[in-house]
Amino acid sequence: MSTVRRTWKINGKTVAVRAPAGRRLLDYLREDLGLIGSKESCGEGECGACTVIVDDEPVVSCILPVGQLADGTEILTIEGIEKKRIGRLVQAAFIECGAVQCGFCIPGMVVSSYALLAKNPKPSTRAIREGLAGNLCRCTGYAKIIAAVKLAAARIPAAKRK
Amino acid sequence: MKTTETIDIRFPKTLAEAVRLQADEKTRGKLLAGGTDLMVQWAAGVPTPERATSVWNLPELCAIEVFPDRIEIGAGVTHAFLGDAVQIHRHVPALIAAAATVGAKQIQARGTLGGNAANASPAGDTAPALLVTGGSVLLASLAGMREVPLNRFWVDYRKIDAHPDEIIVAFRLPKKGKAQERFRKIGTRQAQAISKVMAASRIWVEKGTIRAAAIALGSVAPTPVRLAEVEAFLAGKKLTPKLIDEAEALAQATVKPIADIRSTAEYRRWASGRLVRDALENL
Ligand SMILES: Cc1cc2nc3c(=O)[nH]c(=O)nc-3n(C[C@H](O)[C@H](O)[C@H](O)COP(=O)(O)OP(=O)(O)OC[C@H]3O[C@@H](n4cnc5c(N)ncnc54)[C@H](O)[C@@H]3O)c2cc1C
Ligand code: FES
Ligand code: FES
Repeated sequence: MSTVRRTWKINGKTVAVRAPAGRRLLDYLREDLGLIGSKESCGEGECGACTVIVDDEPVVSCILPVGQLADGTEILTIEGIEKKRIGRLVQAAFIECGAVQCGFCIPGMVVSSYALLAKNPKPSTRAIREGLAGNLCRCTGYAKIIAAVKLAAARIPAAKRK
Repeated sequence: MKTTETIDIRFPKTLAEAVRLQADEKTRGKLLAGGTDLMVQWAAGVPTPERATSVWNLPELCAIEVFPDRIEIGAGVTHAFLGDAVQIHRHVPALIAAAATVGAKQIQARGTLGGNAANASPAGDTAPALLVTGGSVLLASLAGMREVPLNRFWVDYRKIDAHPDEIIVAFRLPKKGKAQERFRKIGTRQAQAISKVMAASRIWVEKGTIRAAAIALGSVAPTPVRLAEVEAFLAGKKLTPKLIDEAEALAQATVKPIADIRSTAEYRRWASGRLVRDALENL
């Protein structure tokens, strides 16, 4: 075992990290920091429930060792996305469209939707499908989720700044 | 404690430092890039190693260089980065298309080209696209740099021609020039699906005649394979519907796929021929 010390920004706040290098980012976020919005479902990178944003890219935190994130890494979790303008638009659209059933996949869905819209505020249906392809939902059948991302996108011009 | 927490992971800052760690059996570790294969294997019960050496973000492994005749892509380049590297898209379009089918966004953000090649799964999506370039792999060790042609790199099921102390640094890939490339993957769904069969091709046609053809398949043998017999059959021939029929039949006759949880041998054999047809019909 080796322990690493790192300084990251998580949801805008500087965090002094001390953890086993091989600790999964998901465990670090949930157990060490109490950020339990990110969920664990498959634990093997397949389902996207644990998706967070690392330096502007969506990643699955259940297969990401803490040691591989250098000093200065910026992480955005579902807790931080709630404080972003596009994040709130996505959240509201999911609620309005009824895009949620059991809710377990939803934090990951919202993070991936945010990551997509932050890069591409006017995504095609195909781009939405590709952006969410790594997030599995057992309940909704996806149609309402895709509708929600479209609705959020349609509202971005009025609130372009994050 | 989660199993991966027991691993002693080293984080060298340069390739030279990583090479020194790997040179000595007492400091050598399992090479760890994006971890999208390894972390899953370890979570699934594959015994964790005592030590790992992280090559993630090593500067020497992250470069993409364009030369007049070829491009060199660092082993640490991610699938997402390939998608963004528009300056090379027209030189190796099949590889770019293949990288875009790996997993989904989250996997593409961390998974690397070197990891995909070294993992050496017959279903590794980038392998056929690398193979049809006729390029090579560059490996570093204390002894210096070694170049291995890609068509000799995957030696057996999950076995590559790399010594325990070697690190893949880059892929040296001739540009496609006037040839046309194509990549097709057949899986259960479009994202996050391991391929049943996939094909990459680089074919040069001039005035209706095939000057040269490189066709490679994945998931039909213990390693990714070039279809040498089909390629030889096509070279120098006029591209006609009859030729395409014959090439399809020849591909089906030469591949020897197996059945596994993802598909049957019969389906793979049939699909191999169809993928060859697809490559030729789209020229
Ligand atoms: C949900 C999911 C979906 C996936 N979908 C696909 C898919 O559709 N198609 C596909 O092909 N793959 C897929 N994969 C597998 C994986 O993402 C790719 O193979 C990826 O490219 C591996 O790269 P990595 O950097 O993460 O490798 P790692 O896991 O870090 O390493 C993989 C292997 O390569 C070795 N290695 C890494 N770098 C080097 C180097 N520089 N020199 C020598 N050896 C090295 C490691 O020791 C290890 O044996 C998927 C994985 C997941 C979790
Ligand atoms: S829990 Fe991480 S991808 Fe499923
Ligand atoms: S709402 Fe239940 S898994 Fe998506």
